[in-house]
Amino acid sequence: MTPFIVRRLLRLAVVIVGVSLVTFAILHVSGDPVALIMPEAPEADRALLRQALGLHDPLPVQFARFLGHVVTGNFGKSFFHHGQTATALVLERMPTTLTLTAFSLFLALAVALPVGIASAVRRGRALDQVATGTVFLGQSMPVFWTGIMLMLLFSVQWRLLPVSGWESWAAVVLPTATLSTFTTPLLLRIVRSSMLDVIGQDYVRTARAKGLTEWLVIGRHALKNAALPLVTVIGLQFGLLLGGAVITETVFAVPGVGRLIVGAIRQLDFPVVQAGVFMLAMIVVSVNFLVDVLYLYLNPQIRLR
Amino acid sequence: MRRRSVLLLIALALLAALVVPAAAQPKDTLTIALASHAPTLDPHMHFERVGILVNVNMFDSLLHRNTKLEYEGGLATSWKALNETTWEFKLRRGVTFHNGDPLTAEDVKFSFERVLEPGKEKKRSPQYGNIRAIKEVRIVDPDTIQLITDKPFPLLLERLVFFPIVPKKHIEKVGDDAFGATAPVGTGPWKFVEWKRDQYIKLEAFDGYWRGKPPFKWLVVRAIPEVATQVAELKTGGVDLIRNVSADLIPELKANPQTYVSSTPILRVHYVELDMRQAPFDKKLVRQAANYAIDKQAIIQKLMGGLGQQTATVVQPRAFGFDAEVKPYPFDPKKAKALLAQAGYPSGVDITLHSAFVEFRPVFEAIAQMLTDVGLRANPRMWDPGPAWNKFFQAEGKASHGAYGSWGNYSVFDADAVLHPLFHTEVGGWIGKWYTRVEGLDKLIDEGRSTTNQPQRKRTYAQIQKLIAEEAPAIYLFTQYDTLALSKRVEYAARGDEWLWLFDARPKR
Repeated sequence: MTPFIVRRLLRLAVVIVGVSLVTFAILHVSGDPVALIMPEAPEADRALLRQALGLHDPLPVQFARFLGHVVTGNFGKSFFHHGQTATALVLERMPTTLTLTAFSLFLALAVALPVGIASAVRRGRALDQVATGTVFLGQSMPVFWTGIMLMLLFSVQWRLLPVSGWESWAAVVLPTATLSTFTTPLLLRIVRSSMLDVIGQDYVRTARAKGLTEWLVIGRHALKNAALPLVTVIGLQFGLLLGGAVITETVFAVPGVGRLIVGAIRQLDFPVVQAGVFMLAMIVVSVNFLVDVLYLYLNPQIRLR
Repeated sequence: MRRRSVLLLIALALLAALVVPAAAQPKDTLTIALASHAPTLDPHMHFERVGILVNVNMFDSLLHRNTKLEYEGGLATSWKALNETTWEFKLRRGVTFHNGDPLTAEDVKFSFERVLEPGKEKKRSPQYGNIRAIKEVRIVDPDTIQLITDKPFPLLLERLVFFPIVPKKHIEKVGDDAFGATAPVGTGPWKFVEWKRDQYIKLEAFDGYWRGKPPFKWLVVRAIPEVATQVAELKTGGVDLIRNVSADLIPELKANPQTYVSSTPILRVHYVELDMRQAPFDKKLVRQAANYAIDKQAIIQKLMGGLGQQTATVVQPRAFGFDAEVKPYPFDPKKAKALLAQAGYPSGVDITLHSAFVEFRPVFEAIAQMLTDVGLRANPRMWDPGPAWNKFFQAEGKASHGAYGSWGNYSVFDADAVLHPLFHTEVGGWIGKWYTRVEGLDKLIDEGRSTTNQPQRKRTYAQIQKLIAEEAPAIYLFTQYDTLALSKRVEYAARGDEWLWLFDARPKR
């Protein structure tokens, strides 16, 4: 068991170095932040600023400095937000993004689990067909479109919920719902298909033969085994959800990390992009690590290997 | 069964509590939406329009522009030039900052020196370039200051319209960073209450404001990046004012019973600057052909909702120095083809144009198509602003034959504000240093900016406009409009300098 975790931790380290390198490289080929900070200024003024920001150093020097930041967790001061460290800016917004992501994941699960199980158990019946149809629809709609449609219906047409912002709990509803339409279909499909796999198996028949109630058969025996692929997908989806949060945050004017990073990319605010991307990557990597550990619990076969 | 229905009731009640109907604005609150917040509330440490729009409602400058865009007194009550390089300002008496400190000449001197940072090589403020001509700030007596420039600087007054005066003592106490983030203090109509980054900036009316009582007790500035969201907020009463309303949204917002639209021409002018160093635009006839090839009226009517005004050159009708004698190039594709043939391109020529003006992509593509129609087969390349400028600067502008863009003049109503950056070849300038090669033009631009004798400057600029109309270092297009959409509970009109001077806003009825 321990070697397994150690191996995973090592892989984690490799991923982190990879993420740092890719973030750094993409940013530095993408342009000159000084040209954006002072778009209509003479070259002489730009040169001074470039020097002040450390952008005149050779790239390897800048990368070494960045790696130092990664280790210490201090990514330096933002080019744009005066007097603010990039780390503080990202941390300030992190709870918002994590709340949004977690809520929509829960919402997605709350829908996908019961509906998925029900449509597997009653395969081919009306519920199953409606669910499969909705999945198809849900997966075909881009998040920003879903978001604007929900906004037009619930906020503009019916005046039930605030249009945008993050000031009240009511404002959380639409972004959460929007973001969960991103994941629900996929989770639902996984629950349904893995449940179908499992309920055809011998041990389920045995459980039934023992005279257990259908509730226990499905809930205890079948679900635990069907959960394995679900856990994997949730781990993977978490990263995608954080990505979807970027769009949702922009549409609903939610003050999250995604919006911060998009803004920072537009302004080429290197420290903020680096801090933001790096911390989000860390979260995704950690979640995946947790998923791996959870596997140990769910699937004893891995423990033996 | 009974328990279940009780539970259901509780659940419904909880839901109802969550579902607060989209809040209508309290009567004494004015809420505006901007696409984003500036990085700081410190008016000297950024150069973003979204920041300036907030700053002007919290801080005062020495001069102010009224709705007719004429100068009037701000923190200065009168001003005069003592000689070509010395200006004297009388300060308004009895003005206090939001924290109760009186405004003094020391604060004015401090404000300028904070940006000029005399003696320091690296300047912190991105606004340094605007006022770098000021060599010295001299306090004559407690009510009088003098600004001394290193050479005659005709744009000085223009630059002082947005140059907020900040409190010396307060900043020295709290420090620069806190001043920009949590403790901004000015003399303006609204004072700072709270800033939630990317959510809202909340301001409260300043009772001691020298102009009188602000029209709304609260001013809230929300950051909403998505246009569709801004429009939805406006329609449901969540915000009272949105900016940069594009042509396609105008009919809808005009028709809505709760909203109206206010539009006005602004200083921003569109152009395609041509690279005169290389073929084919090294030839005057080709540059003129390009000007004849564009149907400006069609673009204004079809792509900009009629909100544009054709210009003869890049000098705006409302800028000082504008010469109405110079007429715009008419749309004449036949003449364009003839000129092109005369210049040695009877079967046309391939060119590349680039632009980073993402919002106006359709206009850019229409221009490229119209040029192609007369034989200047244009390949339009659209880049994101960051990468585009990088490429452009690294290649010294040689990445293409021309650049479509717009120039906002920094809201300075003077011909120099557009002529120097676009057409002067001086090292340190803007695009002109690479693209423009018009004989004698540098000298004329220098002449215009090195005297404060206005009649003489006017003559110089008339001469320049005749020259650049003939030489055509750019394809001249049109001005842009600024369009606001507002809730009918608020009365306000768009200003030609793109400011949101909300002291002029009024609650309706």
